[in-house]
Amino acid sequence: MGNTLEFRNITKYFPGVKALDHVSFSARSGEVLAFLGENGAGKSTLLKTLNGDYQPDEGQYLVNGEEAHFSNPHEAIEAGISVIYQERQILMELSVAENIYLGRMPSNKIGVINTHKANEMAKVIISDFGLPIRPGDKVKDLSIAYQQMVEIMKAYSRENLKVICFDEPTASLSDSEIDSLFTIIRKLKSEGKIIIYVSHRMQEIREITDKAAIFKDGCYVDTVVTKDVTEKEMIKKMVGRDLGDIYNNLDRSKEIGDVLLEAKNITSDYVDDVSFTLHKGEVLGFSGLVGAGRTETMRAIIGADKMTRGEVFLEGKRVINNSPYHAMRNGIVLVPEDRKTQGILANLSVADNINVALLDKHSNKFGVLRHEDEARDADKGIVDFRIKTPSRDKKIVELSGGNQQKCVVARWMGTNPKVLILDEPTKGIDVGAKSEFYRMICDFARRGLGVILISSELPEVIGLSDRIIVMRSRKIAGEVMREDATEDKLLSLGMMDSDFDEAKEN
Amino acid sequence: MNTEKAGKLIRFEKLKKFIGGDKLILIGAIIVVFALFTSLNKNFLSVTNLVNILVAASLVGLVAIGHTYLIIAGQNDLSPGSLVAFSGVLAALLVSWGINLFIAMIITIAAAALVGVLNAWMVNKIKLEAFIATLVTQSVIRGFAYILCGGKPVSISNPTFISIGKLRFAGIPFSVWIMIIAFIIFGFILAKTRFGRSIYAIGGNRDAARLAGLNPPKIITISFVMMGVMCGLGGIVFASRMNSGQPSANVNLEFDAITAVILGGVSFTGGVGSMGGTILGVILIQAFNTGLTMVNVPSFWQYVAKGMLLLFALSSDYLRKQKRERNLLEASKRNG
Repeated sequence: MGNTLEFRNITKYFPGVKALDHVSFSARSGEVLAFLGENGAGKSTLLKTLNGDYQPDEGQYLVNGEEAHFSNPHEAIEAGISVIYQERQILMELSVAENIYLGRMPSNKIGVINTHKANEMAKVIISDFGLPIRPGDKVKDLSIAYQQMVEIMKAYSRENLKVICFDEPTASLSDSEIDSLFTIIRKLKSEGKIIIYVSHRMQEIREITDKAAIFKDGCYVDTVVTKDVTEKEMIKKMVGRDLGDIYNNLDRSKEIGDVLLEAKNITSDYVDDVSFTLHKGEVLGFSGLVGAGRTETMRAIIGADKMTRGEVFLEGKRVINNSPYHAMRNGIVLVPEDRKTQGILANLSVADNINVALLDKHSNKFGVLRHEDEARDADKGIVDFRIKTPSRDKKIVELSGGNQQKCVVARWMGTNPKVLILDEPTKGIDVGAKSEFYRMICDFARRGLGVILISSELPEVIGLSDRIIVMRSRKIAGEVMREDATEDKLLSLGMMDSDFDEAKEN
Repeated sequence: MNTEKAGKLIRFEKLKKFIGGDKLILIGAIIVVFALFTSLNKNFLSVTNLVNILVAASLVGLVAIGHTYLIIAGQNDLSPGSLVAFSGVLAALLVSWGINLFIAMIITIAAAALVGVLNAWMVNKIKLEAFIATLVTQSVIRGFAYILCGGKPVSISNPTFISIGKLRFAGIPFSVWIMIIAFIIFGFILAKTRFGRSIYAIGGNRDAARLAGLNPPKIITISFVMMGVMCGLGGIVFASRMNSGQPSANVNLEFDAITAVILGGVSFTGGVGSMGGTILGVILIQAFNTGLTMVNVPSFWQYVAKGMLLLFALSSDYLRKQKRERNLLEASKRNG
């Protein structure tokens, strides 16, 4: 009697995107199934659809052959489907036992909670898991790894647990902690649970999963047996084609000019003493783990965060950017990482979004806007950047993610910048739009701009940059020229040295 | 015959586009309210009463202009009722001390603008929610209104001051003209200027607006100061109509103004709305309030009725938002 889970034609729309497109496949008991795909491929959306956080627009899912429907995560948990997210979903002020039995603490007839009994029950599970923690420990006093274990035990404590999903569970774990997590996962597997494992780390997927379901742009591509295929084959299925070809065919800037931007000892609450130079016509990549301080360095440079120490020189002259406005006036602009919360103005039209940085240029001395100028520049942006929209008056949120991003790029290019900073510009946009962005980036560099490209996708940063700076824990960890750049090298610079060396030897 | 019908339809569509679909419902609601109260009391539609409605609306109107800016910018203000009372008392007091009327007005409006600066300071610097921050000034300023005059209304004897409330141009009282002119000027600023566009941008997404080179704290400060000026002006005109500065007057004025603004299509979540909608909202709420009194609804029940109207306004705001999201999703499905 094993458990089964089947998805049939699951389709889910969000404003501007089809997040899931007729996804159909199944998983069964006693196997660990990886969800594999690029950012925005639909892995998380599918998890959230399964646990009732989102409702599918079409299609259904079957648990043990029966159609299931969960209107919220609580119903899914009741039915034995749990998701362990990257962010902890536990109550820090409560004890381990209280967290495990949250909302169903053993109690007597009149509802008085029996803490002793809860602790006894929790003790059994904890010893099952072989962990050195006590039921009465406050969760906030535990390490992140043990906090995660508490969440897993919470799911496990339900008699009817059928499916347990892990969303990037190792993001903040050390190697030994990862080992103990894998021990628990194998235990769950041997007990006939269905385990779904979402991760970007190929090595882990190879180690712990049996099969991998591969996603691309919201579509399900294939399920492969992990040990039968090479990493390269999996990546090829994820990306849909060899991105290598795209990078090789780019018309790259050949002339790298004088120093354009020089950042000296940039220090803020989030970064320490970062110095680098950027030349005219150069694409300078910034690599490193999320949280290494790449975005924060740029935010300090453009004055979005307060710079506590450091100097910025543009074409040899010192510039002071107290706010993004000043940075823009000085010719340094940033296309931010999170399009939805920092890039677009969702309530406004395509035209207004393109023109928002040009309000000064488009208004007379009384501040009255000239409609014809606005219309002309909006249309120019739409044509220049090939923004697919029925009209400039369309609400920006009605466009696809890639076209929204083009509007933000058009906004900044309209200000005639000297330095263009792109923070994860292709995150969550489809492959077709990606290659358009790559051509655009090369074009900007050919026109003599200095382009800074922050990207977590290694092939992208290697394929586009002339030079790559790697950041690690708020500092610059190293610099690699294009010719010498390999994924291994960037990773080893970007991750804790010791950790990486161990991982390599395994 | 058919072409005539089609022609009419096209004209209707053009009209609908000009007014905006949502506002058509609002105009319908105004017609219903007028029809209802006229059927209950035929004096409701008399010229005298219509002028009365406009005069009463003039104060709500000025405050609603301020609220239109603030709520679109993602802010709010609960202090106008107190500030209008305070301004009336201050102006009356200054004049009674023998200060030149014009100078007294300038001082009053400057003081009210300063309260706007204070509201903005709490929002920008102490990072308080506008709703809570302006609750502070609501209480403090009401207190100062009483303290200034020792709790007793300050009567006005200056004939020029009194005449402000009585003057008429083309049969329409001066106070109504002030509202009309303010609606035109501030409607234009909101729709056609850099500042107006910035209001929409920061109300829609403050972080993105800042990264796009706008200065949200500055824009918020200007909006609160503008509200202060409206209240100062409104307080002076109101005191003149009453022949006195009344420290206890205008309680819940902001309630009417916010209801009008939301009825007019400004969204509580910010970033959406227009001055045209606010004008209709002000007309609707004042007709409603005057009508309730004219058909002798007891004042206790009027509170209940006003609360229900606000609930109606908020629900329609919610429904409009739902509709926007649904349209968006439909559009995505078509494109996707």
